[in-house]
Amino acid sequence: MTMEGKPYSRRLQDLEDRFEQLDPLIPEGHEKEAISVLHGIVQELLRSLHRGGGTPSTDGPTLADIAELHRRAPPMEGESHSTPLSLGARAPDLSLQDGNGRLVSLHDFRGRPVILVFYPLDWSPSCSDQLSLYQAESGEFDKYAVQLLGVSVDSIYSHGAWAAVRGLTFPLLADFEPKGEVARRYQVWRPKEGFCERALYVVDKDGMIRYSYVSPKLDQVPDIYELYRVLDSLQAPVHGAPEVAGRK
Amino acid sequence: MNATPIPETGPHAPYGGRPVPAIAPVVVYGTGWCAATQGVRRHLDRRGVQCHYVDIEKDPAAAARLRWMTGGSLSHPTVSVAGEVLVEPSLYEVDWALSRAGMM
Repeated sequence: MTMEGKPYSRRLQDLEDRFEQLDPLIPEGHEKEAISVLHGIVQELLRSLHRGGGTPSTDGPTLADIAELHRRAPPMEGESHSTPLSLGARAPDLSLQDGNGRLVSLHDFRGRPVILVFYPLDWSPSCSDQLSLYQAESGEFDKYAVQLLGVSVDSIYSHGAWAAVRGLTFPLLADFEPKGEVARRYQVWRPKEGFCERALYVVDKDGMIRYSYVSPKLDQVPDIYELYRVLDSLQAPVHGAPEVAGRK
Repeated sequence: MNATPIPETGPHAPYGGRPVPAIAPVVVYGTGWCAATQGVRRHLDRRGVQCHYVDIEKDPAAAARLRWMTGGSLSHPTVSVAGEVLVEPSLYEVDWALSRAGMM
Protein backbone atom coordinates (compact mmCIF):
# COMPACT_ATOMS: atom_id res chain seq x y z
CA MET A 1 0.00 0.00 0.00
CA THR A 2 1.50 3.29 -1.01
CA MET A 3 1.08 6.55 0.79
CA GLU A 4 1.06 8.70 -2.31
CA GLY A 5 -0.91 11.84 -1.84
CA LYS A 6 -0.76 11.52 1.94
CA PRO A 7 1.11 14.17 3.89
CA TYR A 8 3.13 11.59 5.79
CA SER A 9 3.17 7.91 6.64
CA ARG A 10 0.45 7.15 9.14
CA ARG A 11 1.58 3.61 9.85
CA LEU A 12 3.82 4.33 12.80
CA GLN A 13 1.42 6.91 14.19
CA ASP A 14 -1.45 4.41 14.01
CA LEU A 15 0.59 1.76 15.80
CA GLU A 16 1.50 4.28 18.48
CA ASP A 17 -2.14 5.25 18.85
CA ARG A 18 -3.11 1.60 19.29
CA PHE A 19 -0.32 1.06 21.77
CA GLU A 20 -1.47 4.04 23.78
CA GLN A 21 -5.06 2.79 23.77
CA LEU A 22 -3.98 -0.58 25.12
CA ASP A 23 -2.46 0.99 28.24
CA PRO A 24 -5.58 0.97 30.44
CA LEU A 25 -6.65 -2.49 29.22
CA ILE A 26 -3.59 -4.33 30.56
CA PRO A 27 -3.43 -5.11 34.28
CA GLU A 28 -0.52 -3.62 36.18
CA GLY A 29 2.33 -6.04 36.77
CA HIS A 30 5.59 -7.36 35.43
CA GLU A 31 4.13 -8.37 32.07
CA LYS A 32 2.82 -4.89 31.44
CA GLU A 33 6.13 -3.43 32.51
CA ALA A 34 7.99 -5.76 30.14
CA ILE A 35 5.79 -4.72 27.20
CA SER A 36 6.40 -1.08 28.05
CA VAL A 37 10.17 -1.65 28.26
CA LEU A 38 10.15 -3.45 24.90
CA HIS A 39 8.30 -0.53 23.37
CA GLY A 40 10.90 1.83 24.80
CA ILE A 41 13.67 -0.31 23.31
CA VAL A 42 12.04 -0.29 19.87
CA GLN A 43 11.71 3.49 19.95
CA GLU A 44 15.34 3.92 21.01
CA LEU A 45 16.46 1.56 18.22
CA LEU A 46 14.50 3.68 15.76
CA ARG A 47 16.24 6.79 17.07
CA SER A 48 19.59 5.08 16.77
CA LEU A 49 18.88 4.19 13.14
CA HIS A 50 17.92 7.77 12.36
CA ARG A 51 21.10 9.03 14.00
CA GLY A 52 23.16 6.79 11.73
CA GLY A 53 24.39 4.34 14.30
CA GLY A 54 26.26 6.80 16.47
CA THR A 55 29.78 5.70 15.59
CA PRO A 56 32.08 7.16 18.23
CA SER A 57 34.73 9.61 17.16
CA THR A 58 38.31 8.37 17.33
CA ASP A 59 39.70 11.89 17.60
CA GLY A 60 38.83 12.44 21.24
CA PRO A 61 36.05 14.58 22.66
CA THR A 62 34.49 17.11 20.33
CA LEU A 63 33.15 20.53 21.23
CA ALA A 64 29.67 19.01 21.14
CA ASP A 65 30.77 16.31 23.62
CA ILE A 66 31.99 19.02 26.00
CA ALA A 67 28.79 21.00 25.57
CA GLU A 68 26.87 17.89 26.62
CA LEU A 69 28.96 17.18 29.74
CA HIS A 70 26.29 18.72 31.95
CA ARG A 71 23.97 15.83 31.14
CA ARG A 72 26.21 13.48 33.09
CA ALA A 73 27.22 15.96 35.78
CA PRO A 74 26.12 15.57 39.41
CA PRO A 75 22.65 17.01 39.95
CA MET A 76 22.22 20.44 41.47
CA GLU A 77 19.51 20.29 44.08
CA GLY A 78 18.21 22.33 46.96
CA GLU A 79 15.34 24.56 47.92
CA SER A 80 15.33 28.32 47.79
CA HIS A 81 16.02 30.30 50.96
CA SER A 82 15.79 33.81 49.55
CA THR A 83 13.29 36.61 49.28
CA PRO A 84 14.12 38.88 46.36
CA LEU A 85 14.16 42.68 46.41
CA SER A 86 10.80 44.39 46.20
CA LEU A 87 9.13 45.38 42.96
CA GLY A 88 9.36 49.11 42.34
CA ALA A 89 12.68 49.40 44.18
CA ARG A 90 15.69 50.81 42.40
CA ALA A 91 17.92 48.01 41.16
CA PRO A 92 21.31 48.15 42.92
CA ASP A 93 24.02 49.08 40.48
CA LEU A 94 26.66 46.52 39.61
CA SER A 95 29.97 46.60 37.79
CA LEU A 96 31.55 43.26 36.98
CA GLN A 97 33.88 41.85 34.34
CA ASP A 98 32.50 39.67 31.60
CA GLY A 99 34.16 36.67 29.96
CA ASN A 100 36.22 38.98 27.77
CA GLY A 101 37.54 40.95 30.72
CA ARG A 102 35.39 43.99 29.94
CA LEU A 103 33.80 45.89 32.79
CA VAL A 104 30.02 45.85 32.42
CA SER A 105 27.76 48.03 34.58
CA LEU A 106 24.02 48.02 34.96
CA HIS A 107 23.89 51.76 34.38
CA ASP A 108 25.47 51.22 30.93
CA PHE A 109 22.05 50.05 29.82
CA ARG A 110 19.94 52.86 31.23
CA GLY A 111 17.20 53.62 28.72
CA ARG A 112 16.47 49.98 27.90
CA PRO A 113 15.18 47.05 29.95
CA VAL A 114 17.63 44.56 31.38
CA ILE A 115 17.08 40.94 32.40
CA LEU A 116 19.48 39.94 35.16
CA VAL A 117 19.90 36.18 35.15
CA PHE A 118 21.42 34.94 38.40
CA TYR A 119 22.42 31.31 38.01
CA PRO A 120 24.42 29.04 40.33
CA LEU A 121 27.38 27.85 38.25
CA ASP A 122 28.76 27.55 34.73
CA TRP A 123 28.84 24.00 33.32
CA SER A 124 26.16 22.73 35.72
CA PRO A 125 23.06 20.83 34.57
CA SER A 126 20.11 23.23 34.62
CA CYS A 127 22.25 26.33 34.06
CA SER A 128 23.55 24.97 30.77
CA ASP A 129 20.06 24.34 29.42
CA GLN A 130 18.72 27.62 30.83
CA LEU A 131 21.32 29.86 29.22
CA SER A 132 21.16 27.99 25.92
CA LEU A 133 17.40 28.56 26.01
CA TYR A 134 18.01 32.31 26.39
CA GLN A 135 20.59 32.29 23.62
CA ALA A 136 18.03 30.69 21.30
CA GLU A 137 15.63 33.50 22.26
CA SER A 138 18.10 36.28 21.43
CA GLY A 139 16.18 37.29 18.32
CA GLU A 140 12.98 37.58 20.32
CA PHE A 141 14.73 39.55 23.09
CA ASP A 142 16.06 41.93 20.44
CA LYS A 143 12.47 42.74 19.48
CA TYR A 144 11.94 44.00 23.01
CA ALA A 145 15.30 45.85 22.92
CA VAL A 146 16.05 44.08 26.18
CA GLN A 147 19.60 43.37 27.34
CA LEU A 148 20.36 40.02 28.94
CA LEU A 149 23.11 39.79 31.58
CA GLY A 150 24.10 36.51 33.23
CA VAL A 151 25.64 36.63 36.71
CA SER A 152 27.38 33.85 38.64
CA VAL A 153 30.40 33.44 40.91
CA ASP A 154 32.51 31.83 38.20
CA SER A 155 35.73 33.47 37.00
CA ILE A 156 35.98 35.39 33.74
CA TYR A 157 37.98 32.47 32.29
CA SER A 158 35.29 29.95 33.09
CA HIS A 159 32.69 32.32 31.63
CA GLY A 160 34.76 32.73 28.47
CA ALA A 161 35.22 29.00 27.93
CA TRP A 162 31.64 28.12 28.76
CA ALA A 163 30.26 30.84 26.48
CA ALA A 164 32.48 29.63 23.63
CA VAL A 165 31.42 26.01 24.04
CA ARG A 166 27.71 26.81 24.28
CA GLY A 167 27.72 29.67 21.78
CA LEU A 168 26.49 32.24 24.30
CA THR A 169 26.84 35.79 23.01
CA PHE A 170 25.34 37.85 25.84
CA PRO A 171 27.63 38.97 28.71
CA LEU A 172 28.29 36.57 31.56
CA LEU A 173 29.44 38.58 34.57
CA ALA A 174 31.89 37.28 37.16
CA ASP A 175 30.63 37.88 40.70
CA PHE A 176 33.95 36.41 41.71
CA GLU A 177 35.75 38.76 44.09
CA PRO A 178 34.46 39.66 46.61
CA LYS A 179 32.68 36.40 45.95
CA GLY A 180 28.94 36.79 45.59
CA GLU A 181 28.84 40.45 46.55
CA VAL A 182 26.35 41.35 43.82
CA ALA A 183 24.21 38.30 44.61
CA ARG A 184 24.10 39.43 48.24
CA ARG A 185 23.09 42.92 47.11
CA TYR A 186 20.21 41.38 45.20
CA GLN A 187 19.32 39.06 48.12
CA VAL A 188 19.86 35.86 46.18
CA TRP A 189 23.01 34.54 47.86
CA ARG A 190 23.27 30.99 49.21
CA PRO A 191 26.02 31.17 51.85
CA LYS A 192 26.17 27.44 52.56
CA GLU A 193 26.88 26.51 48.97
CA GLY A 194 28.88 29.58 47.98
CA PHE A 195 26.82 30.39 44.92
CA CYS A 196 23.61 32.24 44.15
CA GLU A 197 20.03 31.19 43.70
CA ARG A 198 18.57 30.69 40.28
CA ALA A 199 16.77 34.01 39.97
CA LEU A 200 15.57 36.57 37.47
CA TYR A 201 15.20 40.31 37.79
CA VAL A 202 13.70 42.48 35.09
CA VAL A 203 14.88 46.07 35.41
CA ASP A 204 13.05 48.68 33.37
CA LYS A 205 14.63 51.45 31.32
CA ASP A 206 14.65 53.74 34.36
CA GLY A 207 16.50 51.27 36.54
CA MET A 208 13.49 50.12 38.58
CA ILE A 209 12.79 46.48 39.41
CA ARG A 210 9.65 45.43 37.56
CA TYR A 211 9.84 41.66 38.06
CA SER A 212 11.68 39.28 40.31
CA TYR A 213 11.62 35.52 40.57
CA VAL A 214 13.59 33.07 42.66
CA SER A 215 13.20 29.46 41.59
CA PRO A 216 11.74 27.44 44.47
CA LYS A 217 14.23 24.67 43.69
CA LEU A 218 17.72 25.05 42.26
CA ASP A 219 17.10 22.75 39.31
CA GLN A 220 13.94 24.57 38.27
CA VAL A 221 14.22 27.12 35.50
CA PRO A 222 11.83 30.10 35.34
CA ASP A 223 9.02 29.83 32.80
CA ILE A 224 10.05 31.63 29.60
CA TYR A 225 6.41 32.26 28.70
CA GLU A 226 5.91 34.13 31.97
CA LEU A 227 9.02 36.18 31.25
CA TYR A 228 7.54 37.20 27.91
CA ARG A 229 4.32 38.24 29.60
CA VAL A 230 6.40 40.52 31.82
CA LEU A 231 8.24 41.99 28.84
CA ASP A 232 4.92 42.54 27.10
CA SER A 233 3.62 44.40 30.14
CA LEU A 234 6.67 46.68 30.09
CA GLN A 235 5.69 47.76 26.61
CA ALA A 236 2.09 48.48 27.59
CA PRO A 237 0.95 52.10 27.87
CA VAL A 238 1.88 53.71 31.15
CA HIS A 239 -1.68 54.97 31.67
CA GLY A 240 -4.52 52.50 31.76
CA ALA A 241 -4.52 48.80 32.40
CA PRO A 242 -1.47 47.07 30.97
CA GLU A 243 -2.27 44.48 28.39
CA VAL A 244 -0.40 41.29 29.12
CA ALA A 245 -0.20 39.22 25.97
CA GLY A 246 0.60 35.56 26.18
CA ARG A 247 2.39 33.23 23.91
CA LYS A 248 1.40 29.77 22.96
CA MET B 1 -1.22 -7.16 -13.49
CA ASN B 2 -3.47 -4.42 -12.22
CA ALA B 3 -3.28 -3.71 -8.54
CA THR B 4 -6.49 -3.95 -6.57
CA PRO B 5 -7.82 -0.42 -6.06
CA ILE B 6 -7.55 0.82 -2.53
CA PRO B 7 -11.03 1.46 -1.16
CA GLU B 8 -11.68 5.00 0.02
CA THR B 9 -14.19 3.99 2.67
CA GLY B 10 -15.16 0.97 4.72
CA PRO B 11 -13.21 -1.35 7.00
CA HIS B 12 -10.51 -2.04 4.38
CA ALA B 13 -9.82 1.57 3.56
CA PRO B 14 -6.55 2.99 4.84
CA TYR B 15 -6.87 3.72 8.53
CA GLY B 16 -10.43 2.44 8.53
CA GLY B 17 -11.54 5.31 6.36
CA ARG B 18 -10.74 7.83 9.03
CA PRO B 19 -9.70 11.22 7.73
CA VAL B 20 -5.94 11.71 7.62
CA PRO B 21 -5.01 15.00 9.26
CA ALA B 22 -3.10 17.53 7.18
CA ILE B 23 -0.25 17.54 9.64
CA ALA B 24 1.22 14.94 11.92
CA PRO B 25 0.37 15.42 15.56
CA VAL B 26 3.19 16.60 17.78
CA VAL B 27 2.95 16.13 21.52
CA VAL B 28 5.45 17.55 24.00
CA TYR B 29 5.45 16.01 27.47
CA GLY B 30 7.28 18.10 30.03
CA THR B 31 7.15 20.46 32.96
CA GLY B 32 6.88 24.22 33.20
CA TRP B 33 10.23 24.53 34.96
CA CYS B 34 12.30 22.31 32.67
CA ALA B 35 14.61 24.39 30.48
CA ALA B 36 14.85 21.68 27.82
CA THR B 37 11.05 21.41 27.64
CA GLN B 38 10.78 25.17 27.24
CA GLY B 39 13.49 25.01 24.61
CA VAL B 40 11.61 22.44 22.55
CA ARG B 41 8.30 24.31 22.86
CA ARG B 42 9.86 27.60 21.80
CA HIS B 43 11.72 25.84 18.98
CA LEU B 44 8.41 24.53 17.67
CA ASP B 45 6.90 28.02 18.09
CA ARG B 46 9.65 29.47 15.94
CA ARG B 47 9.15 26.73 13.34
CA GLY B 48 5.42 27.47 13.29
CA VAL B 49 4.66 23.87 14.26
CA GLN B 50 1.58 23.42 16.37
CA CYS B 51 2.03 21.06 19.27
CA HIS B 52 -0.02 19.72 22.11
CA TYR B 53 1.85 20.49 25.32
CA VAL B 54 1.21 18.21 28.30
CA ASP B 55 2.46 19.26 31.74
CA ILE B 56 3.04 15.87 33.34
CA GLU B 57 3.00 17.39 36.83
CA LYS B 58 -0.53 18.68 36.29
CA ASP B 59 -1.86 15.65 34.45
CA PRO B 60 -1.23 12.36 36.30
CA ALA B 61 -3.00 10.37 33.59
CA ALA B 62 -0.66 11.79 30.98
CA ALA B 63 2.30 10.98 33.21
CA ALA B 64 1.14 7.36 33.44
CA ARG B 65 0.69 7.30 29.66
CA LEU B 66 4.23 8.64 29.24
CA ARG B 67 5.61 5.88 31.47
CA TRP B 68 3.77 3.33 29.35
CA MET B 69 5.25 4.68 26.13
CA THR B 70 8.82 5.08 27.34
CA GLY B 71 9.36 1.88 29.27
CA GLY B 72 8.86 3.46 32.65
CA SER B 73 10.69 6.74 32.18
CA LEU B 74 9.20 10.11 33.09
CA SER B 75 12.04 11.94 31.37
CA HIS B 76 11.22 15.38 30.08
CA PRO B 77 10.88 16.55 27.53
CA THR B 78 9.59 13.59 25.61
CA VAL B 79 8.39 14.52 22.16
CA SER B 80 6.07 12.39 20.05
CA VAL B 81 6.19 13.17 16.33
CA ALA B 82 4.07 11.06 14.02
CA GLY B 83 4.57 7.96 16.10
CA GLU B 84 8.24 8.51 16.93
CA VAL B 85 8.76 8.85 20.66
CA LEU B 86 11.88 10.89 21.38
CA VAL B 87 13.04 10.93 25.00
CA GLU B 88 15.05 14.07 25.78
CA PRO B 89 15.82 14.76 22.12
CA SER B 90 18.17 17.38 20.79
CA LEU B 91 16.55 20.07 18.67
CA TYR B 92 18.26 18.51 15.64
CA GLU B 93 16.49 15.22 16.36
CA VAL B 94 13.19 17.04 16.63
CA ASP B 95 13.81 18.77 13.32
CA TRP B 96 14.69 15.48 11.61
CA ALA B 97 11.56 13.83 12.96
CA LEU B 98 9.48 16.78 11.74
CA SER B 99 11.17 16.49 8.38
CA ARG B 100 10.41 12.76 8.11
CA ALA B 101 6.81 13.56 8.95
CA GLY B 102 6.71 16.14 6.15
CA MET B 103 6.27 19.03 8.57
CA MET B 104 9.40 20.92 7.65
